Amino acid sequence: MFPIYLGVIPFAVAYAVTARAAGLSVLETCLMSVLVFAGASQFSAAGAFASGAGGLTIVFTTFLLNVRHLLYGLSLGREIKLSNPQRVVSAYFLTDEAYGIVMASNERSFAFLLGCEMSLFVSWNVFTLVGALAGSIIADPAKLGVDFIFPLSFTALIVPLLKSRNDVIVAGISGVLAIVFSKMLPGGFSIFATGVIGSLLGAWLTRFEPAPAPNFEDNTREVA
Amino acid sequence: MSLRLEILLVFLGMCFVTFGSRLAGLMLRAPLPPFWLRFLRFVPISVFAALIVPAIPGDQGQGIMRVLASLLAAFVAWKTRVLWLTVLVGFGTFWVLKLLGVHA
Repeated sequence: MFPIYLGVIPFAVAYAVTARAAGLSVLETCLMSVLVFAGASQFSAAGAFASGAGGLTIVFTTFLLNVRHLLYGLSLGREIKLSNPQRVVSAYFLTDEAYGIVMASNERSFAFLLGCEMSLFVSWNVFTLVGALAGSIIADPAKLGVDFIFPLSFTALIVPLLKSRNDVIVAGISGVLAIVFSKMLPGGFSIFATGVIGSLLGAWLTRFEPAPAPNFEDNTREVA
Repeated sequence: MSLRLEILLVFLGMCFVTFGSRLAGLMLRAPLPPFWLRFLRFVPISVFAALIVPAIPGDQGQGIMRVLASLLAAFVAWKTRVLWLTVLVGFGTFWVLKLLGVHA
């Protein structure tokens, strides 16, 4: 469980530095961590703000990135007995890691679920603040190449997900599509369009395989 | 310390779709069709690839350096699966190439 926090800390700091470099204030950078609390989509939103993408495309991309939480909810809802108010509270703080920790343990209670979720929420927000303040000190982030942290972080996220030939095919085609679309479509919209086409392709390629269960292995990527 | 209204509206939209996805799964009783379960599994792979590839070259004319550094970072990610080490090796490689005066 401890290495999960080691993953959250640099990711939160890297997100905050990127958000500051994109022109978000310290308050805005921290507020996004409180309101959204989803590392990958916060990171991509920071990148999108930097490229001047519109608000709607940022929201659509966020939706596409976070719709996978549906899978975790479906699985948790069957594993743990929850009242409706408990479902609402645990939904707000649900992340890949919290789901992974609960599934890897033998505990099946609301208290344990919320404890896992909140410990991640607190560390994510504390280190967002640390990163946002550090980002204020860096004079010229673009010159340092801070924008390079963004693709590097996502490289660390995607590599553990590539477990089969179809995964690699979908990643490769999506990468090419994204380059083509980014020359034709406005900012974040090319990401959204690529995500829909790439995921449809993946679902079609695996049409003869049994339906996947939410997989704990996906959580070895150790981020929020 | 500033908070712009248009930025706050984007955050609230992001909050709504994220919380909605998380809550929908916990509230839904009926299972999703297998095709859409598989679709959801490919979403992070496809979206992450779409985020990574166009962002690698950057706009400072250091494309080849950054591609090389990214490849090394991907190798580290594959071997270790450790996020901070992946970023550190990638960023470090980029800086070493830069300090060596490689212009590519």
